[in-house]
Amino acid sequence: MSYYFTILSPTDTPIFNIAFGTSKGGGDGIARFRFPDTAQYMNQFIIHSSLDIVEEAQWTNGGMYLKHIDTYPPAAAYISAFLTPSGARFLLLHQPPQLPSGSSSGLGSSSLLGSSASTTRASSSSVAANPTSPQTEEAVRQFMNEVYESYVKTSMSPFYKQGMEIKSPVFRTKVTGAGKKWL
Amino acid sequence: MTSPGDGTPVKPPPSFSPGPARATSKSRYPDGQEVTHSIDAELAEARSPSSPTPLSATTAELPIRSASPHARSVRSSTPQLARSSLGSPFDGRFDGSEDIRSLIIRAFSPTVTVHASEDTDELVRNKGFRGGFCELIRPFGETVPGKVIIRDSVGSSRAWEDYGVRFVDLKGFGRSPPGRDSARDSPLAQIEEVLEKQLNSAEGPIGSSVPSKDVLGFPATTPLCKLFLRQLLSSTSAAPHETFGHPVASVITISSRNPAPLETLRQLYAESNTGDKRLPEWVNQEYLRYYVLIHDEERDDITESTKLYDQMKRHFGLHCHLLRLRSSQCVVTDDDSVQVPQCEWLSPQRTVIRETLVDLGTDDTPYLFDSDATAIRSFIRELIVQSVIPFMENRVAVWNDQVASRRRGISGRFMSMSRRWAGFGSGSRSGIGGSSGSGSGNYDSDQHFYSPDSPEAILRKMADFAVMLRDWKLSASTYEMIRSDFGNDKAWKYHAAAHEMCAVSTLLNPMAMSAKIKLESVDQMFETACYSYLTRCSDPTHALRCLALAVELLKSRGGSATESAARWAMRVMDFGLVGSVGQILFMERVAACYASKTPAGGAKWGARRRKAGMWSLFAADQWLKLGKPNLASACVEEAERLYGEVLETDGIFPMPEMQTFVDNLRHAVKVEYLEARGFDARDEPATEDPLDTEETSEKLEKIDKRNHRRSLIGLPGQLDAGNLKMTATVRDSENSPNDDFERA
Repeated sequence: MSYYFTILSPTDTPIFNIAFGTSKGGGDGIARFRFPDTAQYMNQFIIHSSLDIVEEAQWTNGGMYLKHIDTYPPAAAYISAFLTPSGARFLLLHQPPQLPSGSSSGLGSSSLLGSSASTTRASSSSVAANPTSPQTEEAVRQFMNEVYESYVKTSMSPFYKQGMEIKSPVFRTKVTGAGKKWL
Repeated sequence: MTSPGDGTPVKPPPSFSPGPARATSKSRYPDGQEVTHSIDAELAEARSPSSPTPLSATTAELPIRSASPHARSVRSSTPQLARSSLGSPFDGRFDGSEDIRSLIIRAFSPTVTVHASEDTDELVRNKGFRGGFCELIRPFGETVPGKVIIRDSVGSSRAWEDYGVRFVDLKGFGRSPPGRDSARDSPLAQIEEVLEKQLNSAEGPIGSSVPSKDVLGFPATTPLCKLFLRQLLSSTSAAPHETFGHPVASVITISSRNPAPLETLRQLYAESNTGDKRLPEWVNQEYLRYYVLIHDEERDDITESTKLYDQMKRHFGLHCHLLRLRSSQCVVTDDDSVQVPQCEWLSPQRTVIRETLVDLGTDDTPYLFDSDATAIRSFIRELIVQSVIPFMENRVAVWNDQVASRRRGISGRFMSMSRRWAGFGSGSRSGIGGSSGSGSGNYDSDQHFYSPDSPEAILRKMADFAVMLRDWKLSASTYEMIRSDFGNDKAWKYHAAAHEMCAVSTLLNPMAMSAKIKLESVDQMFETACYSYLTRCSDPTHALRCLALAVELLKSRGGSATESAARWAMRVMDFGLVGSVGQILFMERVAACYASKTPAGGAKWGARRRKAGMWSLFAADQWLKLGKPNLASACVEEAERLYGEVLETDGIFPMPEMQTFVDNLRHAVKVEYLEARGFDARDEPATEDPLDTEETSEKLEKIDKRNHRRSLIGLPGQLDAGNLKMTATVRDSENSPNDDFERA
């Protein structure tokens, strides 16, 4: 499973980005997305497009953690979202690893979308393999809460103004730590 | 700007006219931030200072050819492309989803076979129609002039403007063309071939196009997409598992030249019934026979013909017609010549052949005398209104009474149950009762069809008749009733087709449902149909048809259905059912589906602009890879329009890598577009400052990605972008030594 975590300011500007892989089940914590190296913009496109759903879900969902809200089927990318009181939004894109048999796509399937075979998920209940299982939802919630805590502390820094990019290495370490711990 | 994408029935203005497009792009970028302006505006601006060519000349060569009064054929009227004015003479009657709906409705039209005597075909061949009588009347059958009134099963009637039938020649019926198995000749490959031909033929020296937009600026369905859908819907030949291709009626024709008219008619009838022209055994033989006498106005005596016609009426009853035609060939220069309309519903195979003929320049679309055309039209109207429709209504009523109501369990209400349906109760019931195995025994599992008089086949036929009569309530309930039976019999093709049509009827029925539960069941039906077609029958053509119908009909439903429409379109791409052009068309459909989702009741949220914009950009990227910069340019413009509502500043994306991608795409589109038009793209934009900056940054990007992003962020256009807070953020990120954007 590969993750791409973004904090968006209320004006949709990214103020923090990190990509990491799973550390569970022998993972080495390095992100391996399905897009070719030349198409890493896909993560941002998918995140950006899921803002449509966030805008809708934030009115219909009571909690701060909106759970899994959106999917991008061609690349099997799943988006979970978390709202903060300041209007910043945490978006986590998670993508299960490419299955070895995953080249069923036909003649014209574009390299842009990555090859798919997304629907055949391993039946394992581990966080890494099943992005919509309750276990994953719970793990993401824990991750989001932990990040939120660090985010609040970081944004209380006297040198930080709202909407600025977060450059604090401490914050980055904490997010990485939370990712290692939960995802 | 709140009505759904293609909802307005307004004829779009001629596209690609530089006027409105440029006006909007200007107004969007008031102070020289020409980052995102449309290609043609750019072109015009770039040309006017650099070359002495006046602007009017530039506009003159823009391809607004569709307005040409001498629209000979579809092809010749639109040599440029494709998108703005391709298609049938019926395009433009409706716009957007109404149009698509009408297309889908008309795709399920009754089939009428034509069985003409030798002397008739001879007469018609003299008129210049090599294919005989069927070829002569076929184009006219696709639209019946005037309103056709149809009564549904509950007795209420409704008038339809766009009714039509398909005429097919009995000689070619049910015999699949040879060599169908090879991959190249599969309908899907042919559809792809047709699309590519269309694209290439449209690729003139100034090949350019923009999807037509209606007044509100929403994109109408692209003609290319309509062409694809029409080809797909006409690609399926007659098959046992659905009866749309089976004849509802047969037109038996003789001419006044015939020496022994009544005997010939009898012989033709016998031929079609028992002889060597007999239909395959899975076709119900119980269809209407219609007898036509063609009177040769130039050689024969009308009194003789009238006498013969009266005799025919005495022998064969009311289903007769006297058609008066002139036997000499009509040429363009004749006073009252009219052009024979184009056939709208040709199978992909026939279309490929026709396109080839056009390419070779041997496609001489024949002409007819006005009087002949009028006579044929009134003949077809009479045939349909007075014979075919009443016959179908009658059959539906009878079957509904005798078979369907029995099946519905209200047995005993109708006493006169025919003997041959006696096996029904025990037969298919046992399948449901769980005796599993080979089910009812009505299904011939060796030859894979039900015999046409088994109750399952009759119910299927009744439901198909109901669809053709546009009584979707009845058809949906009938399909609903029989679809599980087919599953029990393991008649997988029937199973898939019944599920498909059940979902289609439910969606076509204007009354039914808006509730979410209903949508889920429709989705479920499409899922089952698609699984049965693909996995159990390996029939990609039907599977693709099913999914394409799902996309279009769900999209036209609006609301939350559009999201499932988009999902189905993605499934099509995922399954790899379509070729490279088809893939892009479906990308555009995904974008269109999302774009047609509008905010719920005045709220700001609920639209899917970002998603739509994203898919449009991807489609543009793919068009570019196929070497179609004009289409790519159209997609980019479309994406900009969609993103316009959600971005803080026009054309400036908050995410750096997105920005890079979009900038590169715009640049590449521009370069290829200009190259396609014979410009040297390199030195062209040197006239304008902001463009120059952009150009430089593009070049830098090729050398050093890191460097480029800096330079991009530092773009002058972005710095004075108004939003101070945002600018501050951006500048900060520029100074940042460990910029995460690059690592991501």
